[in-house]
Amino acid sequence: MIEVRDLKVYYGDNVAVDGLSFEVKKGEVYGLIGPNGAGKTTTIKAIATLLEPTYGEILVDGISALHEPENVQGMLGYMPDFPPVYDDLRVDEFVELFASAYGATTEKRRAEVDRCLAATNLEDKRKVLCKTLSRGMKQRALLAKTLVHDPPVLLLDEPAANLDPKARIDLRNLLKSLAKDGKTILVSSHVLTELQDLCDSIGIMREGKMVVNGNLQEVVERATPTKTILMELLHPFPQTHGFLIAHPSAHFTGEVDESPTLIEFTFDGDNEEVANLLRALVELGAPVKSFHERKADVESLFLSVESGEQP
Amino acid sequence: MNNDSSGGFAELNPLIRKGIRERLRMKQIIAWGLLTLILTSFTYLTAYLEGSDGQWNYDEKSEIWEKGEPSPVNGARKAFPWLLGVQGFILMFLGTGRMAGGTAEERETGLLDYQRMTPMRPHSKIIGYLFGLPAREYFMFALTLPFLIHAIVVGELSPGKVFHLYGVFLSCVMLYHLTAHVTGLIVSKPRAASWVSRMVVLGLYVFLPGLGQAGFSFLSFLTLLPTYFGLMSEELILVGPQNLNMWHQEMATFWTEVPFFETTLSPAFFSVMMQGLLLAGLFATAHRKWRNEALTAFSKPAGIGLFLLLQFLLIGSLWQLSGNGNASGLLGSAISGDKFDENLIQETENGIVRATVRRTGWVVISVQTILFSLSLGASVLILNVTCPTRHQYLKGKRRSAKLGLQDIPLWADEKPGWLMVLCLALIMPFTHFALLTRAVDSGLYFEEFPGMEAYILPCVLFAACLTYIRAAREKWFTVGFWGFLGLLWITPLLACMVLAVGWEEEVFDVVFHLGSLSPPFAFFEIAGSPHDMSLGIHEDAFKKGAFVGTFIACAIAIWLSLGQFLRRRNWDKGEKNIAVSREP
Repeated sequence: MIEVRDLKVYYGDNVAVDGLSFEVKKGEVYGLIGPNGAGKTTTIKAIATLLEPTYGEILVDGISALHEPENVQGMLGYMPDFPPVYDDLRVDEFVELFASAYGATTEKRRAEVDRCLAATNLEDKRKVLCKTLSRGMKQRALLAKTLVHDPPVLLLDEPAANLDPKARIDLRNLLKSLAKDGKTILVSSHVLTELQDLCDSIGIMREGKMVVNGNLQEVVERATPTKTILMELLHPFPQTHGFLIAHPSAHFTGEVDESPTLIEFTFDGDNEEVANLLRALVELGAPVKSFHERKADVESLFLSVESGEQP
Repeated sequence: MNNDSSGGFAELNPLIRKGIRERLRMKQIIAWGLLTLILTSFTYLTAYLEGSDGQWNYDEKSEIWEKGEPSPVNGARKAFPWLLGVQGFILMFLGTGRMAGGTAEERETGLLDYQRMTPMRPHSKIIGYLFGLPAREYFMFALTLPFLIHAIVVGELSPGKVFHLYGVFLSCVMLYHLTAHVTGLIVSKPRAASWVSRMVVLGLYVFLPGLGQAGFSFLSFLTLLPTYFGLMSEELILVGPQNLNMWHQEMATFWTEVPFFETTLSPAFFSVMMQGLLLAGLFATAHRKWRNEALTAFSKPAGIGLFLLLQFLLIGSLWQLSGNGNASGLLGSAISGDKFDENLIQETENGIVRATVRRTGWVVISVQTILFSLSLGASVLILNVTCPTRHQYLKGKRRSAKLGLQDIPLWADEKPGWLMVLCLALIMPFTHFALLTRAVDSGLYFEEFPGMEAYILPCVLFAACLTYIRAAREKWFTVGFWGFLGLLWITPLLACMVLAVGWEEEVFDVVFHLGSLSPPFAFFEIAGSPHDMSLGIHEDAFKKGAFVGTFIACAIAIWLSLGQFLRRRNWDKGEKNIAVSREP
């Protein structure tokens, strides 16, 4: 649905985006991650046709965003990272303005506004002036405006940045339901745990370049080939440490302390070897209370990219 | 105001509806409505009551002062200009400020981006902003209309003429508002846009029209004044003794006809024509920027078209002045009067001889200097918009490579502006030669043939200036470019002023050479060279200054252009290397 090829954006002598290429399939939720200044906002703005790239190509549903921006714009719902709203309009007027700007008939407009305000939990604030809203509420009003013309593609730049925990959960659920409805969503965020639950694919950007890109699960697994095992003992059992140190596939990351009951180590073997290890520990007499593999997450992947461990 | 989404209101342009909702809620209607009514009532009634009071007349027979009968007609006629002033303040001052501030604010916050992405057509967006942002000001204006009707009825003013005047008034308002909107869309730094908008409006519609008094009549018609005086002066003549009406009668004569080529045009027609042209140009620019923000304000062919239009208007306005000394405005009055006569007193053997010499050479000197300076100013703006910066050029190169083209297309925005320079430098001599030839043939301004340098030198200087302006624009970014022009054009003039004030005649030679670095001063020297400037021993230095300025401009043009050519070759090489490294 969205195809970005060799995208370059220069601001004066600064390179904001440098040869970026990625693809977002129809109905997919794609998370764009990166530190400040990585080029996420620039990339989203370029896809939204609000910024002309220096080089490269952007296709939305096969249509060039560079050469036919007016044909692409109708397919896009764009939400910027800072939520500017018309301060002196009421919330329903703000959403209605865009319903009519996107060509909804007078009769249809009211229904559209009601639908979007309900989706963003703003029904009780509909008659309130936008300037009196909190930042999180403004973000919701903006999301309502973004959804008003029912676009097949959503470009959301830090949509959860100013939301409280409850609103974040609501937003996540809303985005999930939108994705279920077949919408293609490109979302950038610093809140990495949210992307983990939400995204099908991710791209990690650093200094304008894409350093990691692909299906979330595959990327995470590819980036973390070793398993991290967490084991809890009923009471200290010093032989456990000796056993693990002697095991060729087990490795302790930090200093080995034989007294605690919570043990964490990495393991190179496959799932069958993990099972064999557990069996061996139990046969050794270790009082294993719990034994599980800690799943690698986006956060650790991102941190490993940031620290330069990943390419 | 109906704020519900029902009825005709719901069918309005969404942006106009937005403007009404934002700025015309009930409490605002009450507050601003009251303010308008109080302000207008105070102004109108004060002028009306003062004017309708009977005038004191001196009866020479009885040698006593008598108070005349009260005249509501006079009251309404006196109040009319004040009412127009209040309406101008509301729509032209407050409305333009709102347009500039509103556009800049929406651009800065990113709200304009939302509108950019909606499928509304660009012209709908422009109209929406044009009438939506200043919705409150239009409401305030509407509240003043009952006073206008009173003035027309009681003052016995011709409704046709008033209607005509208000047509031009509203066209001026739209011109100012559109200028502010376009500036807000063009200026890259949103915070600066609001100030730049106000400066542009002031420059275009307040300072530039001043040059209309120097023979450049078309510039006067960017304001309402010519139409106002041309149409309304006679209408506003007070009933009663005629000595009260001298000023109105003079103004009516002053503005009645506009010489243009071999004909004359009415001020109202000329105003509508001028403003219509400018409105069309601004609308096209706004349309282009709404379509794609990355595009320049206008394309290269449009830039050449603008320059051609400017030259056409310049020739048309100055045609009669050059040929027979006929001009509108102050210059016309000065020529027809005795303002250029100089009384000479000479002692001879037969006693004191008095003679009057007409020094009309100053007309052609000032007109020629302004003509070239104005054309150069327009060229700076055109080249600033149409010449690509390094990044635009490289973007063009990469895009051409992607499309499989040998080079950037000739008229593309990213193409270097040498063709623009060539076109502008070729257009200008036509105007200059036509007007100078007419001036020489008329016998009004030159005692003898001024020499070929009067024809060629300003054109060479103009071409050299355009060449280095282009090179500077393509070499440096905005700050560097304007800094360079400021240093080269303004600093020498400031230094000359310091020298002239400090050392007076001792340093005149230096002043004439140093000042010639600034093109307007060099054009002045070129225009003045064929005439006796009464500079005594400094006359030669003044005439040499014209050549010095042209020589230095040519040297800077060659130096910057050569440097830019070499630099561009390096960029092209760099691009080729990138392309090679990208190949599989």
